[in-house]
Amino acid sequence: MSTLQDKINNYRQLFFDRAAAVKESQQVEELRQLFLGRKKGYLTLLFEEFKNLSPEEKKTAGRVLNEFKTEIQSKLSELEKNFPVSGTITPIEDLTLPGRQLYWGAPHPITLFERKIENIFISMGFSVEEGPEIETDYYNFEALNFPPDHPARDSWDTLYINDKLLLRTHTSPVQIRVMEKKKPPLRIIIPGRVFRRETPDPTHLPMFYQVEGLVVDKGITFAHLKGTLEFFLKALFGEKIRLRFRPSFFPFTEPSAEVDIECIVCRGQNPECRVCGGSGWKEILGSGMVDPQVFKNVNIDPEIYSGWAFGLGIDRTAMFAFQIPEMRYFYENDLRFIRQFNRK
Amino acid sequence: MKICYSWLKEFIDLSLSPEELADCLNQIGLMVETIKKTDEDIIYDIETYANRPDTLGHLGVAREIATLLGLPIKTRSWRVQMLEEATTDLIDVQIQEPLLCPRYCGLVVKGLKVGPSPEWLRKRIEAIGLRPINNVVDVSNYVCFSLAQPIHTFDLSRIEGGQIKIRKARKGECLRTLEGSQVELTPEMLVIADQNKPLAVAGVIGGEESGITETTTDVFIESANFNPTSIRQTAKKLGLSTDASYRFERGADINAAPVGASMTASVLCEFGGRVSQGLFDAYPMPRRPKTVNLRLKKINGLLGITVEPDFVVRTLTGLGLKLKEQNENFWIAEIPTFRVDLEREADLIEEIARFYGYDRIPSQVTPANSFTLPGERKRERIWGLREILFHHGFDEVINFSFADPEKEQLWQSGFQAIKLQNPVSSKMSVLRTSLLPGLVENAVWNFNREAEGVHIFEVGNVYSLEQDNLHRERLKLGILTGGLRSQRTWKQPEQETDFFVLKGAIEDLFTYLGYDSPSFEPIEHPFFQSGQSLEVLLKQDTVGLIGLLKTDLARNYDLERPVFCAEIDLAELLQRQPRPFKFQAIPKFPGISRDLSFLIDAAIPYQQIKQQLEKLPVPYLEKFTIYDRFQRKSLVPGTISYSVRFFFRHSDRTLQTEEVDRIIQEIISQLKSSLKITLR
Repeated sequence: MSTLQDKINNYRQLFFDRAAAVKESQQVEELRQLFLGRKKGYLTLLFEEFKNLSPEEKKTAGRVLNEFKTEIQSKLSELEKNFPVSGTITPIEDLTLPGRQLYWGAPHPITLFERKIENIFISMGFSVEEGPEIETDYYNFEALNFPPDHPARDSWDTLYINDKLLLRTHTSPVQIRVMEKKKPPLRIIIPGRVFRRETPDPTHLPMFYQVEGLVVDKGITFAHLKGTLEFFLKALFGEKIRLRFRPSFFPFTEPSAEVDIECIVCRGQNPECRVCGGSGWKEILGSGMVDPQVFKNVNIDPEIYSGWAFGLGIDRTAMFAFQIPEMRYFYENDLRFIRQFNRK
Repeated sequence: MKICYSWLKEFIDLSLSPEELADCLNQIGLMVETIKKTDEDIIYDIETYANRPDTLGHLGVAREIATLLGLPIKTRSWRVQMLEEATTDLIDVQIQEPLLCPRYCGLVVKGLKVGPSPEWLRKRIEAIGLRPINNVVDVSNYVCFSLAQPIHTFDLSRIEGGQIKIRKARKGECLRTLEGSQVELTPEMLVIADQNKPLAVAGVIGGEESGITETTTDVFIESANFNPTSIRQTAKKLGLSTDASYRFERGADINAAPVGASMTASVLCEFGGRVSQGLFDAYPMPRRPKTVNLRLKKINGLLGITVEPDFVVRTLTGLGLKLKEQNENFWIAEIPTFRVDLEREADLIEEIARFYGYDRIPSQVTPANSFTLPGERKRERIWGLREILFHHGFDEVINFSFADPEKEQLWQSGFQAIKLQNPVSSKMSVLRTSLLPGLVENAVWNFNREAEGVHIFEVGNVYSLEQDNLHRERLKLGILTGGLRSQRTWKQPEQETDFFVLKGAIEDLFTYLGYDSPSFEPIEHPFFQSGQSLEVLLKQDTVGLIGLLKTDLARNYDLERPVFCAEIDLAELLQRQPRPFKFQAIPKFPGISRDLSFLIDAAIPYQQIKQQLEKLPVPYLEKFTIYDRFQRKSLVPGTISYSVRFFFRHSDRTLQTEEVDRIIQEIISQLKSSLKITLR
């Protein structure tokens, strides 16, 4: 009996000495293990000894032991409060191992680029319109001032469904559909799929994406077309990009302008440049002032209103911007290609 | 169109460097695509436009440059050696179709020595990318590429009866062309015929028989003007595009016809030819010159510049227009016949802009008096939907709208595919009726190229032919998942994708779009393995399908792995009104969770359990989730074990343990009676 009491006294001394010396949470845990450890804790061992005592002895010993245990536990929890947690968390063995990465799906580059374009125009107060891909000859050509049997149609080589229906060759028919329904002022863009009867090659495919823009209001000028398209292309390609507007022909605009941007690959420095062919310029979009005949076709008076429009091939522009050599990559959907675009 | 520097000098006195000239051409819209320098010349390949047939000859291009630089166009005269005979004595021309042939000029040249062209002429012909043939043919081309007036020459001796008839072809008539092919003529085609037979397809191509050969000595020169639409239809029908048809279908200058004949005859005199007296010129209905009103105010108003009236007059006069000032800064402009494109004020304004220089027009932002509010937010919602799918690890693809009819047959989507009249190829000859065949092809492509997992989606239209010949296009969402979902890392084992990966993504989509959770009902569909597909329903309406791709279909693509796909009708889905977003107060009081494990008849699908749980008539139940489900031999045969965690909360106070205990008891007794569960 006395031996047990002695041991307790010694252990109490030891415990409180150690407790007084505790400086961090880990030492609290060590102290807990030393006394309450499941196999070799001092107190655990004392309880083992207790089992061998006579029932008589057990009476007092049990009380003393339990009191001691309570004493230790309350001191330990006090210490735990003073030196909180971290000691209970297993330290990380090797912080240099790779992290757990999450795979985030990649947008298709066309969608990505289209959205980029949309956002620039939305920031300028444009809204987005859509229209059908199966169109009538009227909306795709006639209303846009393409006379029947005119060579101007040759550049818009068409896939026909029947004599009246076709797959739209550009997004411009949506201009007509919107102008028929809504009154000016209008400032809209129209993105979408378009189709041409093209034999596939690195820069031509029978399906691609376009975005069309249209502004109609009183007093709209060619200067506005220039200023707005310049802003757009700078927003897309960077402030320093050089642009060139040159006369062109489209049946639905007059005057018409084609816009070239400086070749971002060679900056006009490489006569052999694969991208610009050495000219230093890359054709990027077609534009112009809405042709008065187009206005007449939708009952807008060209004496009161004027407007500008543009159309841009998203695929080709994206090819240029990302320096993608082959247009067919967009529709092969090789994931080694697509997945590069979750970084953009 | 190829343009030579030296050739331009026949029409204007040029002293620009090659680069300066290129800059000039670019400014006025004759974009230089390439510049080729040879020893003696510089050849520009320029872009021309469908509405500017006048620029398809050197004269037209020279006129543009002359206007830009303020130079005069040289006047040239066409001297000839005369024959005694009059043209009309040698040839009898009858125009039977004056609407299709508004003007016809001709001359006869006799005593020619046909042979190789002299060097100057050969160089001209080679410079524009043609092959020199003989002096007569080369002269025709030289004139054509000078004036943009196509010339045709006949061997006079081959014209039977000395008669030229401009008439429509007769049924069954044929012609062996100069290119050596036999063409069948149809009655709407205009031909140049002699007494008996067609000699040429008017304005398109000549016949071999009446062509110039080495033995030819006497030549009939045709310099005519034909109806553009008729020429275009004929050329298209014959599948021919010649230098002549290219110009006529765009509209040749009606007044160039006589000049063309004279110029041709004059050059042919260099080869010993002598020319018949009096140009034959049939022009039964001379055209009145077109006039267009032009206002300075409108020019400045449309371009956003201030131009001087002088500049307007100088430019347009240079281009051959005759301006009459009606009022101050208001002109009536008479349009020369070679400018078929100028018809309205806007057309003249473009001319002013071109010569003013697009680069000098200022850049201004487009002013706006008002902005329209975005109406439907369809695109925004579709983009959001994409982002949910990105988050679930799906990559976006875009496939062609075209489909292979044989594949369509295989899939049996239940929709009738729309056929194309003139497809690019037979494999792209119909429009797709489902997005899934494309996605499966993408999966195969990628599995064959090192991909261990393919998780993709596409947003795009499908097309179908409906009743009453309605051609319908519908926006759909297709999703596919197959293979590994994540690779093994040091932290976790590899994960194979499964049906529930796809189903979870769809459930999340509905949540994002603000709709009620979809319900799913078993369905049999030709795309999917029997018993392995569900239809997706919103309220009572089917909005999609989801399932395991049918093995028979997969085999056609040599696809061995299980692939799960879904197709959602976005058009249908997005037209539904989403639940408006409403903020919910953050709970002030803690909730209590309780777990319940029970056995249930294995034949009862989860959907039924879920419905019962949702219907439980108990208070404070905030949510429940199943967190374990298994079937084991140790269990009662034919049963399955579920573990469900219920979460209870009272909005106004803390729940008492005893209350929750009572609720759980109630749940147990409810489930015992409705689903015959036994507790584990």
